[in-house]
Amino acid sequence: MFELILQALYSGLLVGGVYALIALGLALTFGTMRVINLAHGELVLLAAYMAYVVESRLQLNPVFAVPLAVLVACTCSALVYLLVDRIRKNRELNSLMLTFAIGIIITNAVLLIFSGDVRSTGSPFMQDAVQLGPLFSMKSELGAFVVSLVLVLALWQWLSRSWYGRAVRAVSSNRDAAKLMGINPAKTELISFIVAGALAACAGVALYSSSVVHPPLGHALTVKAFIITVLAGVGSVPGVLAAALLLGVTEAMTVTLWSSALQELVGMTLFLVVLLVLPNGLFGSAKRRG
Amino acid sequence: MLELDHVTVRFGGLTAVQDVSLRMGSDQVVGLVGPNGAGKTTLFNVISGLVRPASGSRVLFDGRDITRLPLHRRARLGLGRSFQIPQPMHELTVRENLIVAQRFGAGRVDPQKIDRILELMELGEQAERDAANGLALQELKRLEVAKALATEPKLLLLDEVLAGLETLAKRAFMAKLRELHETLGLGILIIEHDIETISSLCHRVAVLDFGQLIADGTPGEVFSNPDVIRSYTGAESAETQHA
Repeated sequence: MFELILQALYSGLLVGGVYALIALGLALTFGTMRVINLAHGELVLLAAYMAYVVESRLQLNPVFAVPLAVLVACTCSALVYLLVDRIRKNRELNSLMLTFAIGIIITNAVLLIFSGDVRSTGSPFMQDAVQLGPLFSMKSELGAFVVSLVLVLALWQWLSRSWYGRAVRAVSSNRDAAKLMGINPAKTELISFIVAGALAACAGVALYSSSVVHPPLGHALTVKAFIITVLAGVGSVPGVLAAALLLGVTEAMTVTLWSSALQELVGMTLFLVVLLVLPNGLFGSAKRRG
Repeated sequence: MLELDHVTVRFGGLTAVQDVSLRMGSDQVVGLVGPNGAGKTTLFNVISGLVRPASGSRVLFDGRDITRLPLHRRARLGLGRSFQIPQPMHELTVRENLIVAQRFGAGRVDPQKIDRILELMELGEQAERDAANGLALQELKRLEVAKALATEPKLLLLDEVLAGLETLAKRAFMAKLRELHETLGLGILIIEHDIETISSLCHRVAVLDFGQLIADGTPGEVFSNPDVIRSYTGAESAETQHA
């Protein structure tokens, strides 16, 4: 039993790393533009299907799909930004409807082009088992986790040290004050959407390589990313990583100890409990927003 | 340096600022006074670009029409502004607030200058602190001015930056503002309620009442103007009472 729990913990951490990538993209765009991009999960879905295309048509390892996936997801993310930016009235509410509609369009386009079948990598290399003591995983799962951690750290450094990373944090902190400091908010928001697209692309390729994908997955991923962002409290990269790992572990434990039917329910329950007890999230501070 | 040409601002049916024309040079410290709701902050919002004035209004800075220019481009031209309620970029440290302002506002990075601004505004000890936490009101007000200074402005708009300060702190802050004006040749347009402060700090005073400019001159001229006394204090001047 102990080994089973340990294995669930390990599997949960591995999937939590990919969740962190997805949630960071959503948190980034929400932070700069105060817009919840409900099509964010569908960007991940698009990237995952780019990996499927590269593997099935070009007979290449799905990892080689990363440049194509980045191109597609970043372009779509930039288009989402341009459409949202045109909303002049009630942007926070109207953008929800707009991005929800974009998500439905992408899901149906994927359904039309690739059918509703479940897809996963057929690469034996990616599916090979890796043993770490008593713990097992596929090579692709471990690889996806490591790449996710590296990207999360890279994003953290970019936000902390680069000029545009600081500009993103400045706009996220106080849009008008940032403008008065000479920061162009439109450029900063576009950059944050493109970075979110790149993160979604990497997450999509990682998901296809280590798990299964199918058209309705995009919506489920958006919901998970939203849960993680709220759990973390807006404005904290380590917080998002920790919340993503927590969600991954909680889901894996639930599947192992109870039933896979409860996997989605447990995320929502965790979300409600944290909102009830800590309205600013696990790592958010009430003072942050002034 | 700054010229407001027939500036009018309407919010729906309410006229917040009506046909205000005002000029100031870089060699001046000008006070903008008036009762609450007179339109002072709205006028600041027009100058800095937060509020778009009605058609026919013009805002010129260094001879250039900036009426339709976005905020961030005005900041890059040399318009610095502080808010009445401090608006720090709270996800950044105090020092980061300044270096971001310098990088994007002035278009260059000079860490030594940031250190000098921190020293001048007495924020050296708080430099590495998160701007969201642990700064007192006085420190936040000094950070407001420091951020604006980091953009290397030619004109500084200060919105009630002295409000809420103790007398000694207020005097010290005024001395700093004078120093900034004299050493950097910085033009200052300041909103302030305290007549004594305005009289000792400003070369010129402009008075707004119900959105209209009712007086513009030296502090001595303006504060003995019967219209100003009536509108600003609600009291009648001795001359008016005699008449």
